Amino acid sequence: MKKMISFLTATAVSLGATSAFAANCTNDSWNKVMSRGKIVVGVKADYKPWGFRDESGKLVGMEVDMAMDVASTMGVDLELVAVQSSNRMQFLEQGKIDLMIATMSDRKDRREIVGIVGPNYYTSGTNILAPKALKFNDWKQLKDRPVCGKQGAFYNKIVEERYGAKVVAFGGNAEAKQALRDKKCVAFVYDDSSIMADLASGNWNDFEMPLKTEDDNPWALAVPKAEEKCVFGQFMSGMQYNWHKSGKLVELEKKWGIQATSYLKTQKDRYSDWIK
Amino acid sequence: MKSKHIPGIHQQNQTDLPVLHSFKRRYRSPSEIGFSEWLAGLPAWVPFLVLLAAAAWPMTALAQGSNYTTGQAFEALLRWIPFLVGSGFFLTIVISFLTMLVGTVLGVFLGLGQISQNRFIAKFCWLVTQTFRNSPWLVLLFIVMLSFPFEITIGDTIIPIPDWIKAVIGLALPIMANISEIVRGAINSVPTAQWEASESLAFTRFQTLFQIILPQCIKRMIPPWMNWYAILTMATPIVSILGVEEVLNLTRQAIEAEDNHPELLVPFYSFVLVIFFIYCYPIARLTVRLERRFAVKL
Repeated sequence: MKKMISFLTATAVSLGATSAFAANCTNDSWNKVMSRGKIVVGVKADYKPWGFRDESGKLVGMEVDMAMDVASTMGVDLELVAVQSSNRMQFLEQGKIDLMIATMSDRKDRREIVGIVGPNYYTSGTNILAPKALKFNDWKQLKDRPVCGKQGAFYNKIVEERYGAKVVAFGGNAEAKQALRDKKCVAFVYDDSSIMADLASGNWNDFEMPLKTEDDNPWALAVPKAEEKCVFGQFMSGMQYNWHKSGKLVELEKKWGIQATSYLKTQKDRYSDWIK
Repeated sequence: MKSKHIPGIHQQNQTDLPVLHSFKRRYRSPSEIGFSEWLAGLPAWVPFLVLLAAAAWPMTALAQGSNYTTGQAFEALLRWIPFLVGSGFFLTIVISFLTMLVGTVLGVFLGLGQISQNRFIAKFCWLVTQTFRNSPWLVLLFIVMLSFPFEITIGDTIIPIPDWIKAVIGLALPIMANISEIVRGAINSVPTAQWEASESLAFTRFQTLFQIILPQCIKRMIPPWMNWYAILTMATPIVSILGVEEVLNLTRQAIEAEDNHPELLVPFYSFVLVIFFIYCYPIARLTVRLERRFAVKL
């Protein structure tokens, strides 16, 4: 049955894809997953609620749910590997993981390394968490001031180059937030959705998210570079398209208590079927 | 009765003659088990004081408009302890055991190689020992982590090499070099008369080494060997930098899962400190005791 599915998918995709790519496709990863009967997906273990551990140590979260859906659609077992921002692309290149769904921002330089396929499943922008007392209202006010951040976030560099802020990057969010409280930095630069969740928790009453969100950047999952235009890449495009169309992503967003984003709603409308 | 003055009793003992003072040792060679001596010297209640301080600290230092209390933080810690110990610290111990095993086996060969009569072998083993003994551990770890494949395919079978195995290999290199030095030092510390005596009894060099010298060395090697085990165990958290899911890495992930409240930092990291202490402290005490018992009395 598995072979049959892979055969059918392969046929369907090769018919659909332009024949120019057909000659280059070896579909190694796809075939490996199918012959092993197991897909290895790299997810975050330190990015609640996208990928984190429950008290028994099991990986859970929104991206883990997405990975489960991929595995059950392919009809294979799922193995999760915890990845970090610093090693996620490397793991995919090495073949240690077959698929990466790990809160990765879709950047041009990253597209050259791993096979990023659309449509993007989420988006987030950059903003800061800062004490109300400092009364920030412009990004330019961060010039030459220490700003806490998390290691591996692409916007650390942007904030430094564009606004001249001095980013102090920490390994974990808790450390960065503690530094903010200890007044070692004037602000904590991070994803706007995560900051909103913090502010909503009521534990940051003396703080605010004062600036205009910048660099709204879609997130992307990735397959190995060689698979980008082959079976696996096409298949993941289809998965993401259907997640948007069926509203599964909006559902998951609600399930994991993520602040509802207009992006997912717009995408749902955009991809919705014209026959209701 | 004041006529009698006995020098040294009724007055300062004085003499013009040269006097041979008793020998005072000015230089003390650094202890082979310095780390264990330091650790064993700590009173056992020290880390618990740290935990208590952790419990009291945030109440004064923090409390900036946060509803999250220290009580909640400790409650979260209690919920996570089974996983952190059963999964994280367990892996730490597995890594330290395997590293010690690999490091000892390789180190013994390297140490014997250093006293080889073949000059080429001796020089080579000396070079390897010094190279790994004097390299930063983290650099060795990075080299091993990045240069080893994540799986080996032999025919149709795929043998995966998980990160923690690579960590064992990376940590075993400096341990190997240090064990090599312990072996070399222990063999050289056996009086040369032993070698001469066994030669006069027609023992071959090989027989002398394995039947006469090494049995005497083992007692001397045990304390420094255990000392290295304690140092190694304390050093294992550096593998968390490379993504190995030992206790420190999982602690970070637990803090993340508990919503990154800064109040969690001190209780969680203090807990890690305390379990390392609970594990290494008895080892250090035993090391010091064995060292005293095996000490050569001159």
